[in-house]
Amino acid sequence: MSTEGVVVEGLRKVFHQQGTGRLVTAIEALDFAIAPGEMVSIVGRTGCGKSTFLSILLGLETPSAGRILVDGKTPYGDFDSFKGRIACIFQQDRLLPWRSALDNVALALEVLGVARAERVARAREWLERLGLANFLYAYPHEMSGGMRQRVAIARAFVVRPRVLLADEAFGHLDEVTAASLRREFSALAREEGSTTVSVTHQLEEAFDLGGRVLVFGCPARLLSDLRCDPGDRAGVARLRGEIQRMIDQDAPLQPVAS
Amino acid sequence: MANPSAVQSLERGEAVEATPALVGGFRVPHETLIALGLAAVAWQLLAFVAPPYVIPGWDKIFEQLLALRVDFVLITVARVFAALVLSFALGLAGAALSYSFPVAERYAMPLVKLLLAVPVVCWILFAVLWFRGLELRIGFVLVITCGPIFWVDLLDGMKGVSKDLRDMLRALRPSRWQFFAKLIWPATVPIVLTSWKINVSLAIRIVTMAELVGATTGIGYGLTIAQNLLSVAEVFAWTIVLVVILYAAQVFISLIEARALRWRE
Repeated sequence: MSTEGVVVEGLRKVFHQQGTGRLVTAIEALDFAIAPGEMVSIVGRTGCGKSTFLSILLGLETPSAGRILVDGKTPYGDFDSFKGRIACIFQQDRLLPWRSALDNVALALEVLGVARAERVARAREWLERLGLANFLYAYPHEMSGGMRQRVAIARAFVVRPRVLLADEAFGHLDEVTAASLRREFSALAREEGSTTVSVTHQLEEAFDLGGRVLVFGCPARLLSDLRCDPGDRAGVARLRGEIQRMIDQDAPLQPVAS
Repeated sequence: MANPSAVQSLERGEAVEATPALVGGFRVPHETLIALGLAAVAWQLLAFVAPPYVIPGWDKIFEQLLALRVDFVLITVARVFAALVLSFALGLAGAALSYSFPVAERYAMPLVKLLLAVPVVCWILFAVLWFRGLELRIGFVLVITCGPIFWVDLLDGMKGVSKDLRDMLRALRPSRWQFFAKLIWPATVPIVLTSWKINVSLAIRIVTMAELVGATTGIGYGLTIAQNLLSVAEVFAWTIVLVVILYAAQVFISLIEARALRWRE
């Protein structure tokens, strides 16, 4: 098997539920691979372990069993070696309120130790690409939700990551803004050639982004692995029905393992 | 002269709210000045009817104010400032240690809470019994009282940083120092400033008490002399100085706050 791209092998995640202390299975079993530069959307019910999967892929959590390899290394085990190689756009923008848009984008470069002049130039370039040329020095509270999410997108792209993750990144925005941002995000990811993994519970978002769609059951396991062409309306409509049926027929939440 | 922005708003036909007068960007506290003026007038009226050794008139108080030893004021301010800086450094180190190592927090916090529970007057007595040097005694009382407050406040601030922001930054793989400097410290600054406001007020009171008990310099010692001379005017003059120092310190911190927290809505 190729070590390039993302390889998920026998992944399982069980954790203790806070308060009750019961064991909860978030990820039952996952096995799949994502080729370098591929764009993948993961869909499934809310609370089915999609975000837990993304946290492991981001390196913030460790699996209970199995592993995830990104270019042959585990992002949680070889944590520091992924500096600047993996980036994430979260559900909320997670901007630092005391930093301007420019400084928020430059944050990712600061951590990498990029010289001030270069990081300002790169941050400015990305904000301009995302239509925020007039808001470089605006604080987060001075911007709309859509603008703040654009800043978060710029912060993710500015390091030119090999792997780009999006965790329900457009779900909290109004539909018009979300659709426009999805298109921009998708175009930029293709342009940059990043491997993209986008998690969503909205089928529309997965179809807008296009590419490959992985359908997760509850707890997380692979129900289906599909291809989607956003231009093929009939195909998208058929897929929507198929995925909806698959998710509906999946067993209801069974979080308790023991 | 009319406020230009208000005039422009009126020209545009917009409703304009009554705004407080601003001089050099600062709000002139009209109500405060009026309230203080009324209190001063009431004091002077009382001074006309009461004997001067009970309620001295403003002329006597100002006479005493001009005669006060400036070096005593500077010594007290220096003691407060030095002790607060040391307390803050210790509190910050303790909070950062407790935040980074939960086991340290579990062992340290009961002791910190114990220190907070001890009345200040007990610390003053301990200082007199344990230490010989005057500065050491005053410094000890101030640090043992203010240090734990900084510690608890700063730790609360650090722990209050949202998990969302912590995860966002962790995902960028910062060093331990970067994590602290770029997230934890800036997020804690509002708490730091509030803690300074509380501790400045507390420290000025404590240092005065400590000087009153056993010092040979400082405002507290000045008050002791005034008490021995039964000079109410001098006691009042020293009280005015203490209030002005406290007020000036609060204004200074507020100015820093306005600048450091300008990102707030």
